[in-house]
Order: sequence, then C-alpha cells, then structure tokens
Amino acid sequence: MSESLPPKSVLALEARTPLTPGLVLAVALHVVVFGGALILPRFFDRAPPLRKPIIAKLVALGKPRDPHLLPRKESAPPVAAAAPVSIPSSKPSSAPAVRKREPTRQELMQRALARAAGKTEPRTEEPDPERAGSSTGSAQGTAATAEEGDAYFTAVHDAILENYVVPSVISERERLYLSASVVAFIGPGGQILKHELQKKSGNAFFDQALELAIQRTKLPPPPPEIAKSLRDTGVVLNFKP
Amino acid sequence: MIALLALLLAADRPVIDLSGGKVQAYPLAIARPLGVQDAGVAVQSALSADFERSGLFKLLDPASFLARPTEGLTGIDYTRWQAVGAQGLVKTSCDAPGGEVKCDMRLYDVAHGVELLHGTYTAPRAAMRQIAHRFGDDVVKYFTHEPGVFQTRIAYVRETEAGKQIVIADQDGASPQPLTGASINLLPAWSPDGKLIAFTSFRDGLGAHIFSADVVSRQIKPLVLMGDFATGAVYAPDGLRFLFSASIDDNTDVYVSQADGSAGRRLTDARGIDISGTWSPDGKRIAFVSERAGTPQIYTMAADGSDVRRLTFQGNYNQEPAWSPKGDLIAFSGRDEHRIFDLYTVAVDTGKVTRLTQNQGTNEKPAWAPNGRYILFSSTRGGKRQIWETQPDGSNQRAVTSERIGASDPAWGPLPPSK
Repeated sequence: MSESLPPKSVLALEARTPLTPGLVLAVALHVVVFGGALILPRFFDRAPPLRKPIIAKLVALGKPRDPHLLPRKESAPPVAAAAPVSIPSSKPSSAPAVRKREPTRQELMQRALARAAGKTEPRTEEPDPERAGSSTGSAQGTAATAEEGDAYFTAVHDAILENYVVPSVISERERLYLSASVVAFIGPGGQILKHELQKKSGNAFFDQALELAIQRTKLPPPPPEIAKSLRDTGVVLNFKP
Repeated sequence: MIALLALLLAADRPVIDLSGGKVQAYPLAIARPLGVQDAGVAVQSALSADFERSGLFKLLDPASFLARPTEGLTGIDYTRWQAVGAQGLVKTSCDAPGGEVKCDMRLYDVAHGVELLHGTYTAPRAAMRQIAHRFGDDVVKYFTHEPGVFQTRIAYVRETEAGKQIVIADQDGASPQPLTGASINLLPAWSPDGKLIAFTSFRDGLGAHIFSADVVSRQIKPLVLMGDFATGAVYAPDGLRFLFSASIDDNTDVYVSQADGSAGRRLTDARGIDISGTWSPDGKRIAFVSERAGTPQIYTMAADGSDVRRLTFQGNYNQEPAWSPKGDLIAFSGRDEHRIFDLYTVAVDTGKVTRLTQNQGTNEKPAWAPNGRYILFSSTRGGKRQIWETQPDGSNQRAVTSERIGASDPAWGPLPPSK
C-alpha cells in the first residue's frame, strides 16, 4: 500500500539542528552580558570620594589688614560688666590715631532697624536676578539644577540640621572623630515612621542627640516618585558633629 | 537573578550627610534638695555656680519644674522632667550629723530614665562646698572623660595699701587666704604636687629674688638670690626643676635650676632680654620671650636651650607665654596697634594666632587650668584689675575675684591627687 505524500511546500521548514541548544546559549549569553554589566562595575569602579564640605567665608568689604598686626576678633565681644575707668599708667593712651566720623542720627536709626531685622547692615544691593536655582532650594545651595528627589533631600537635610544639637559636654577632641548613621523611613505624609541607629558613634550622648534631632524634625511629604522608596527602603543619615 | 537584582537595588539607599550641628550646653535640671535644707541649699548653690562657670551645662529654671514636691531619689516621673526640656537631672539629699554634712548626690539621664551616677559625699560643715566641687568633678568626668577642676585652687597677687601679697583661693575665688605678708610679692607658681608656691619678692631689700612658700605651713624660704634680680619661677611638669629669669651684668636670660634652687644653669645667651620661660606639658620644650629680633616675641627651644624657633610674627610686643596642658596652644598677651594688651593663643604647630579678648580694658598674664578647658587672666574691665576666666576660644568670660583694690598674676594649681 503505497500512499503518495503531498508535495512539500516551499514554505515548510527543513529538518535542521534542534532549537534548544541555541536558545540556551542565547539566554546564557544575555545573562552573562547583563549580569556582568550590573555586577562588574561594583568590583572595578572605585568608591566615590567622600564629599567634603568646602566652608567658605564671605570676605567683608574693606582694606586688607596688615599681616604683621595681631588679629582682630571677627565678632564684637560682649559688653564689659561696667565701663572701664582710666587708670594712671605709663602705657601710652589707647585712643586710636585716626578718629572715625561719628554716624548721623539717620544712619544710627538705619543700623538699628537693620539689626532688628536680623541684618548687620542695611542691604543696598538687590539679589542677583540671574542666580539660577530653585524656589524650594537651600540658601546655602550651590547647584543650579537638581536631579529627581534632590530638592526633597535638601529639605530633609535642612529640617534635620535645624534640630541637630551637639551637647557641649562632648569634648572637642571627641567631636573630631565621632560619626553615626541612622536609617530613617519616611511616610507619605512626611512623618518619620521609624528610625534605626545603623552605626553607633560610641558616645551615648551623641547618639541621644541624633535621636532627639530626628524625633523633633517635621518633614514635608515626599514627592510621589520617591515616596514608596522612602517608605520601604528609607534614607541613610550620616551624622558628624 | 531577580533576587540578586533586588538585593543590589535595596542597598542603594539615598544618603544624606549632616554635619555642623549647633554646639549647645547640656540642659540640666537641679531638683530642689531633699533632707536638711540649709546644707542642701548651700551645696546646690555651689554646684550650680560650678556648672554655670563650666560652660558645659545649661541649668534650667527651677520655677519651671513640674515634678511633684514629694518626689524622692527614686520613683522619678521622668516625663515631667522631659516636659521642661531637661536631658540630665541632679538630685541631692543631705544630712547633717554632728559637725559634718553628708550628702547623697545622684545624676540621672532623663531621656532614658536611668541613673548615671550615685555617690555619698561627706565634709565638715565649714567646708561643705567641697561636696559640691567633688560631685561636680565626677559629673564633668562622666560626660567629658576629662578631669574637672572644681576642686582645684588658684593663687594670685592681692593689691593692698601696704603692698602686694600672694593669696590662695578656691578656683571660683571663694575662701581667699593670704600666703605671704604685704611687701611686694609677685608671679606665684605652683609646684606640680600643689605643696609649694614659688614667687618673686622684694622682701630681702636687695631687689627682686625668688622664694618659695609651703602652702600648708606658710613657711617661706629663699630659692634664687643670684644676679641683679631673679624672677618668674615656673616648675617643670616633673617638679624636679624650675625655670626662672635672672639679670647678670645687665643681661637677662632664662635659667633652669634644681627644685631646691641649686645648680642654676643659663639656657639662653642671645643679646637683649630673654625672659618668661614656660614648659611644654611633656617638659621637652620651653616657650619664652626674646627681644633678639628687635621686638619682644614668643620663641620655643628644647629643654637644654638648643633648637630655638620663633613662634609669633604678628604684633610688636608679645609676652607672658603659657603653654596649654594639652600642648597644642600657647596663650600670651600681646599689644595691638592701639597699644592695648589683650589675650591671644598661638597654635604651636601652625603659628595661627587667635584673639581672645578685645575692647575690654587691658588683659594680661594668662594661666591655664590643669585640664586645659579654661584660662585665668587679669583684666581692668570694670575699673579695677581683677582675675577673670575664659574658655580657650574666648567665650564664657567671667570674673573670679572681687578684691577691694585689685588682683593680678593668677596661677592655677594642679588637679587634686586621684582617689
């Protein structure tokens, strides 16, 4: 009994090498490539350098001080308990060689108003309208643009710093090397859901001061795009005195 | 694979670095005393003054306290103390059996509701302030891991109508007692064991020379009678030697001698005046004033007189160096461009000069506390020259003495022997 087979379609597949080994190889290659891309940089990339703050002081307007003279205090000392009376002495008079012009009543009034407003002198310059930044940025900020979430982290930084008080009973020497890390989990309303002291400083009063700072801090609600991450993963707060 | 990726992502928490917290005094409540009231009040008064002067603690106003009046040394309702902002709490209960006072003193951590320190202190009734000083030192040691200075004593020169006498007092100026009569006595210096005070005196009628007085017996004996004058003795940290300045044939130099005044040896030999030697805390170097460059400046040298280095280059009249017990700073008085003497410190490593006083009369003769946290000095602010105290950054300046005519030349005594 012979049965004639229908002619083969030209579209029919030829019997070739089975698909499975090729598929496995392709998947394995993808895994290797993507896995390598994710993991290898962690072995070869150097850790980013610690960002050290650069603390700059605004230079006051005036004449440069002769470097051979003894320094002056930057801020005026507190007023003496009573006005010193002149004591007969062989030492030369303390009166400065050049007397300054006495300020007018109008100038004194302006200075008093400026002091009341928290300024040392009335500002005569308008803020620079060209300064780039954000309306929600920090006064101390230096970056013109922000990545996603940066504005919120700036707000977190400023809010905690406002409540961050280092007790003076910690000696200056100890303050040089103390550091601690806290992981804070932030809820969608800005409330700190919980915090964990991830790395203790070794000084109970410093650790206590950090916990107090976190407890006292009120945060704004995080932006929706990072709210879930802040709630589930948290944010690391590295404290130094 | 997915689990590995999740793990890697979870580790990528955002990190915020915080530094530059405000340094503030530790809020401390001192509860109303329990037990015998007059003793308790006196002890707490001295304790409060010690803590206020220390700059470490912010004492809370007792009028704001919410604790029940019946609250004792135990069963403390910490929430009531937290509510007034206290982080630490001190409680005292005194008894006065016979001629002495016995106080139970305790320190509590309000935030964690635990007792941190607990001690019983006893003293004669006439010296019950010592109870406060001892407990105060224990509290400072607990917090800072450094010794407190509330039990230490100071010496200074009291000006009287008859002259100038050396006086010893508690570190807060209390209980001043004269050590010498009132000829002209100047520049007291404590021996490291606190038993002797060397000073410069005109008592022999032959000019200024150096004598020593036993702090307990008040017995005085000559130490250095050499030269036209000898002045400014300063004991070495080991107490075996002392520095002084002497003028021989119109040349003033720094000398070192054995503690009994024997074997005096000249350390400087430059032309002009070399004076006011003071030891580094390890006794290996000496700071002094020299005019060798034309104006008085602070120099350092090795203890044998070699390796002389100039330390100050600002100002044209720097004098009276005092090396800090921590070794990092030398305090001195310098004359500024308005010809006023003020206090400064210079960093030994970098030469950086920092000003401590300004526009407050004349400020001179710095003397360090043995723990390096405070500096005594004399100041004419307020009219009369008195002894004042400051922290090494120039903060927390307070009067120590209130002598009728005046006081000068302070010297801070050593720490009491450890128990």
